Amino acid sequence: MTAVPEQIRGSAPTVRRTGWRTLLNAKILFGIGILGLFLLLTVAQPLLSATVWADQPQVYDPRFGFDTGITHPSAPSLDHWLGTNSLGRDVFSMLIHATPPTLLIAIVAASSIAAVSLLAGSIAGYRRGWVDGFVSHLSDAMVLLPAMVAVFIVGIGRSNQEFGSLQVGLTFGVLYGLGPATATVRAATMTVAAHPFIEAARVAGGGGGWIITRHVLPHLYSHAAVQAMIGATGAVIADAFLSFRSAVGEDYGFGLMVYDGIVWSSLMAGIAPPPWWIMLAGAGAITLLAAAFYLIGVGLREALDPRSGGILG
Amino acid sequence: MTVTAASERRPRLPWFVTFLARRLTWALVTLFIFLTAVFFFMQVWVPYSWATQFLGPDRGEAYRAALEAAGLNRPLPERYADFMLGLVGGDLGSSFSGSPVVDLIREALPVTLTVFIAGTVLGWVLGEMLGRLGSWNRGRGAGSVIAVLGVLSATIFPPFLVFLLVRWLRGPLLELRAAIGLPTDSLVLWREAVIGEPGALSPGDVRWLIALGLTAALVAGLLVRSYGRRHQLPLVEALALPAMLAAVGVGIWAAGLGPHALDLLYRADIGASTGRGSPALALFGIVLISFGQVMLLMRAGMDAERTEDYVLTGRAKGLTERAVRDRHVARNVMAPVLAGSFLSFPTVLAGMIIVEYELEMEGLSSVLFSAIEFQDVPVIMGVLVVLGLIGVGFRLVTDFTIAVLDPRLRRGRA
Repeated sequence: MTAVPEQIRGSAPTVRRTGWRTLLNAKILFGIGILGLFLLLTVAQPLLSATVWADQPQVYDPRFGFDTGITHPSAPSLDHWLGTNSLGRDVFSMLIHATPPTLLIAIVAASSIAAVSLLAGSIAGYRRGWVDGFVSHLSDAMVLLPAMVAVFIVGIGRSNQEFGSLQVGLTFGVLYGLGPATATVRAATMTVAAHPFIEAARVAGGGGGWIITRHVLPHLYSHAAVQAMIGATGAVIADAFLSFRSAVGEDYGFGLMVYDGIVWSSLMAGIAPPPWWIMLAGAGAITLLAAAFYLIGVGLREALDPRSGGILG
Repeated sequence: MTVTAASERRPRLPWFVTFLARRLTWALVTLFIFLTAVFFFMQVWVPYSWATQFLGPDRGEAYRAALEAAGLNRPLPERYADFMLGLVGGDLGSSFSGSPVVDLIREALPVTLTVFIAGTVLGWVLGEMLGRLGSWNRGRGAGSVIAVLGVLSATIFPPFLVFLLVRWLRGPLLELRAAIGLPTDSLVLWREAVIGEPGALSPGDVRWLIALGLTAALVAGLLVRSYGRRHQLPLVEALALPAMLAAVGVGIWAAGLGPHALDLLYRADIGASTGRGSPALALFGIVLISFGQVMLLMRAGMDAERTEDYVLTGRAKGLTERAVRDRHVARNVMAPVLAGSFLSFPTVLAGMIIVEYELEMEGLSSVLFSAIEFQDVPVIMGVLVVLGLIGVGFRLVTDFTIAVLDPRLRRGRA
């Protein structure tokens, strides 16, 4: 490609051209910071058990722990940073316990969205013809089938063993990936394919597969990444509602914590104040995690594609 | 040039006829693919059969009888043909409990439609307005407030927090309702009075009437509003929506349905005696979920557009700042924002289902979740079909609006 003059090489932004510095804008940094906190949480249990909770680690067990010294549920205190729930479990410990599966869902969903949309979107947008006709109709149809609702249909009433993090992430990722994500990536592919450097590559004798992988895909990563991040937000929320609604799994999810608090407050309505700390811990964790992915997605879009201002989703 | 000459010779149809014909063809093909996907999703991919759910691992005589009763022992292509042909005739099959799925949905749909249409339109109006003002007042007080609101709305209002918010708001709202003396059981009384009386409207009919009236009011209001904006009549622009809504309200009241409409607005619950569900609260939730995305897109679009040459030209020829902002820049930005906001349709829909579930409204959500609970496959499929139809209708309206806004898009694929 060295022989191709600068003016026909096109100007679509790639990571390399934009540079890593502009990539690290405030939104992305903020999102990564929140994600870092959650990653810290995943390793916090053994650390805390060895240090702060070393006196009585069994009290802080997320599944069987019980503090005999106080009545439950108890509000946040020095011993229990986020309080305890009605069964006496430490809420902070539950939060730690619920973090890895939720992160797994987000990662599985994000990577399957990226894979599906890059594959279907780039081929459809580059090849056009009947392939494009089929893919774009399929993605239009899939936008109509909300991935979240599909996850509810498959997952409600099922235990974690039957329908765990991997399955939630995959179901959500494939459906969202075929729908809005493919539509976005396909539109971006058509913009890229109109650039002169694609024509130049074709004149140079490049085959379809080579042009797609070497010249088209690098310009699509940012669009796919944005969709993956926004999709991961949805997957986290879907899982939270699933764990809220089904309440059959043995493991705590963030949604189940909210459910816990709501059940207790309706049982004790008028007798005891609602245990806001349990609901807030669960809902806050969901919101923060979702916000982290969303911020990274929006930040990526702003950094890599400032002109279009995220007009296509 | 030859193309222009050829098209001038033919008698030309108005653009919207060919446009709508093209979009309707698109909608039919998309719906066909969607329905096929729904069928195979529910019959093949979803890893359960209601028969195994209740009969356990024993695959004996009882299992076969149950399969037969549900028609699940027939070959897949036959079931598929049945499903599609039934849909052509508007038949969604019957629930495992025996009642036709269409009846279940007809009962539940008006509440959902009312909330969805009103929620997305209000969310759009609010988001468009805030995004427009936010971009134009960048760096000033109002602009900064709107910028912060934008990030908050996009990050802290995913369905789950709205869910908690409406839950917390419901208590005070119920107290307020009791405090100002609104009747809490008028719907029950009215239902009892109406049942058995020949010729009387059923609660379901009244709901349909209100849903359609509200939709008509919103559409008319938006049209008048854009007329006011184009002809620089700020008063008309500001009052169009409220006036239309008020007119429909007066109409409903004059028809003698007032108390019941009010009742539907603040309560449409499953038990009809628990006094929980509140479409007004659900509406609030949907607006929260939907306005943020529109606002952020609008603001970003306006930001990109305001350095264009035509903005300078407009100012130079003495247009007011308001005219430049609303009639030139906003109009250019609106079409791509509308196109983009359609892709968040699934999020808004899923958010609505979660909020409806939380408020225990007699909407599609309650039908869906009870069907999932009882593994009632035909009902689940029926709900998905209706969601798809809502989506296609929504898409057609969006595409048409975009084509009205941007004449360049009237010819190609919008």
